[in-house]
This record gives sequence, C-alpha cells and structure tokens, in this order.
Amino acid sequence: MAELTRALRLYWRLQRAAMRGAMQYRLNTVIGILTGAVYQGSGFAFIWVIMHTFPSMAGWSLPQIAFLYGMRLTAHALCMLPLSSLIGIDWLVREGEFDRILLRPLNPLVQVMAKRMGVGQLGDLLVGVVLLAVAGGAAGIAWTPGLLAFCAAAVVGGALVEAAFFLALSSTALRMLDTFALRVFVDDVFSRFGSYPMSVFGGVTQWVLTFVLPVAFVAYVPATVVLGKAVVPLAYASPLLGVALFAVAYRIWAGQLRHYQSVGA
Amino acid sequence: MIRSLRGMARIGLRFQFAYRSEVVLTSLTLIAQVFLLRMVWTAVYGERRQAADLTLEQLLAYLTLANLQTFATMPVITRLAHFRIRTGTVFFDLARPVGYLPQMAAFQAGHTAGALLLLSPVVPVVLLVGSITSTSHALPYAVALALGYVIGLLMALLICLIGFWTMETGAISLLYRLVSQFFAGTMVPLSFFPGALGVLADALPFKYLGYVPAAIYVGRLSSAEIARALLVELAWIAALWALLWALWRLAHRRVVINGG
Repeated sequence: MAELTRALRLYWRLQRAAMRGAMQYRLNTVIGILTGAVYQGSGFAFIWVIMHTFPSMAGWSLPQIAFLYGMRLTAHALCMLPLSSLIGIDWLVREGEFDRILLRPLNPLVQVMAKRMGVGQLGDLLVGVVLLAVAGGAAGIAWTPGLLAFCAAAVVGGALVEAAFFLALSSTALRMLDTFALRVFVDDVFSRFGSYPMSVFGGVTQWVLTFVLPVAFVAYVPATVVLGKAVVPLAYASPLLGVALFAVAYRIWAGQLRHYQSVGA
Repeated sequence: MIRSLRGMARIGLRFQFAYRSEVVLTSLTLIAQVFLLRMVWTAVYGERRQAADLTLEQLLAYLTLANLQTFATMPVITRLAHFRIRTGTVFFDLARPVGYLPQMAAFQAGHTAGALLLLSPVVPVVLLVGSITSTSHALPYAVALALGYVIGLLMALLICLIGFWTMETGAISLLYRLVSQFFAGTMVPLSFFPGALGVLADALPFKYLGYVPAAIYVGRLSSAEIARALLVELAWIAALWALLWALWRLAHRRVVINGG
C-alpha cells in the first residue's frame, strides 16, 4: 500500500512536469485540445443529422443516444488521459529508452504513463462531459444519488475495460512484437461501435461486441441501466467487469515485462 | 519537365507501397466503417421504404461508393509538406528545376494510383458489405469524380502552402480532413442535412469529393442537374487554381528553411 501511494505521488509530480512541458507550446496545446473536440464532435454531428430525419434508432431517442455517446466518450478520455504515452511504447523499446526506465526505482508502467500529457484527450473529455451533462438532463432520467453513483462507477469501469485491452496489447511491444496497427484498429472499433445501441447491430456482431471484444460494456450495458432499458439484472454489475479485465491486463503486462529483452542500444 | 514529373509520380506510388501494412489496416477500418454505416442506416430506416427521396438500397450503394472514393483519394501531400517544411528538407524540393506545386501534384497522383492498386483486392469485400448495384450513369460519374479529384488536389495544395507561413500544419490538415469528409457527405448524404447546415454543405466545394459523384452513380441527379454540377466543378477548379497561383507567388518569397 505504501508502495502504491508513493507511486501515485510520484506519478502526480511527473505528470505536473509533463503539463508544464505541454504549456510551453501554448498554441499547439490549444489546437490539440480543439482538434480532439472537433474530431469527437464530428462523430456526434453524424448521429445528430441522422436523427433529425429519423426520430428513433432501434428504440432510442436522440437525447438517449447522446447520453450513451457522452458516456462512451468520457470513459474513453478517462482511459486515454493517463495512458496516452503508451501509444509510443514501440519507440521507447526500439530506441533503448525503456532500459533507462527499468533502472529507476519506480514502477515502469507509472513512468511510461507520466511521460507526456494527453493533450488531445482533454478535448475528448470536454465533449464527453458536456454531452453527458446536457443529455443527462434532456433524456428524462429520474436521477437518484444511487443512480448517479452507478453512473460514475460505470464510466470508470468502462474506462478500465478499454484500458485493459490497450494495456495488454501495448505490453507485447516489450517482446518486440509490433502490434501498433492492431492497437489502432482495436481503438477504432471501440470508438466507432461503442457509441451505438448494440441492438442496431444484432446477431453475430452484437454477440462479438459483447462477449469477444466487450465494447458493449464500455457504455452500452451501463447506459441501459441508467436509462431504464436494462434487460438482465446482471447489467448492474457491469462496472466490475472493467476492474477484473484491467487486473488481468496488468498481470499480462507484468508477465511480458519479465521477458523484456533490451535491443542493446 | 514531363519526365521529371513522371519520376515524382513514381516516387508517390512507391511511397504508398512502402507502407503496405498501414494500407491493410486502413482497409480493415474502411470495411468496418462501411459495415457500421450499413447497420446504423438499416436500423433507422426500419420499416420505411424511402427517406429524403432515397431508398435504403440507393442509400447503402451511395455510402459505400462515397467512402471508397474518399478513401482512395485521401491527400498525402499535406502530411509530406508538413514534415518537409518542419525538417527543412523542403529546400531540396524548391531547388529542383520543376515547380514545387507540380511536383506535389505529381506525387499525389502517383500516390492515388498506388492506393487504387492496393485497394483493388478490398473493393469486392467493401461492395459485398455495402451492397452496390451497377449504374447507367457510368460516364458522367467518372467525369464528376475526376473533376472532384482535381478540386480535392487543389485544396490539398492550398493546405501545403499554408505551412510556408505557419510552419506547422499537422492540426490544420487533420481539421481539414474531418471537415472535408463531413461536408463531402461520406456518412450522411447531403440531402439529409437540415436547414442552414444543408445550405452551407451545398455551397462548399467538398460535396464534389463525395456526394455529387456518388449521387450521380445511384441516379439521384437528373441530366440537367448533372450538367450544372459539372460546370460548377469546372468553375471551382478555375477559382482554386487562381487562388493557388496567387498564394504561391506570395509563399515562395517568404520561404524559411529550418535547420540550415
């Protein structure tokens, strides 16, 4: 426990340094945040334009889909804000930079995480939270403190589901396996398909997106609970899946780390 | 001059082939995109036969085509110019006896040719996923698409030139890609855009990159509308060409080479 608090304290310090670093290029930071926001905003603009003509998508109204979209996006931002530096892990390994990380007395994952600040992800977070707040009011949800707490837990759980896949795939870079392309694709599937009611896809696709690559658990399943559309009571336990998956992913990371071989640079 | 441009086009083609794995990945993304659009639109149509004058079959064919088009014609030179201006290697481009803009245009043309070659095995899969039928407007479709490609190329060259002032076009070109794809109608046909958004999309040149050719293909435009669209395309090309020429005269005088 003492180890964990120490790691968190150091992470926070390093992250603050990264933040100061990002603010040296103020304009670039602002443009980065804006681009993140526009990127996610254009995805929602698509749904908005469609639902201008069609009032319902698989039984979901526009505010309901907006809520789902906001939940997915906030979870995505919460996942990527701390983990965005992992995107460049192939490079860290190839350039021998990772050797230096292993020499320092702090958990290597924490060190990699603290390398940079995810500027674009701040834009994602902005759009996600705004959508959640606006749609949370417009979708006619009977908010109770319990439901609010569930919603917060679900967003964190969703972030952990996505983070688990991202971390597990990233850890293969420690064995010099290039999974960069695969990671981008998986991230794309999470973003692209996660923002729609799964009933839109139906059949095999819905099954795959629920049980093989559990995109459905990032936002769809918990959103059905919040919006009163849940079909199985087990949906209430959905935030726990993220915790379990992330624990497995961390084990995978630690396992790969034991087999790390330096490039010898 | 022609020979050196052909050389540039060849480099563009090789550049495309050097990143094969990236192409495989983006092809997968393209298939996922078309599949997603098919599912979403089928769900919203539900029992409806028609919306905004389009049947579901027409719409799916339209979307498949529009996505294939934008994917194949995606500009690469904005990325290239960004990199070469930032690192100062743009000096070598400027020192060549052939104009900078013709070089870039030739490179892009070669790159697109490479994309078409690499895309050919994917096309059947995309067509299958997106469901598409043959057309009776093949010729006007091809002409509209070719002119649209020139419009897209000229706009990409404009973005490249902006780099001579700002040095940094990474964010601008990403923004350009997002905005142009949205207004090209790759996810929603322009006929669905409501009110002011529809007016804006109709006025911007982006629709010639996606919506107009694809709408001609599925028989959504009448002969008079097609003729008018082709004329407006020519006018856009003339206007963008003039703008590009004027901007280039200013840009090459203010070249700053990074890194000496």
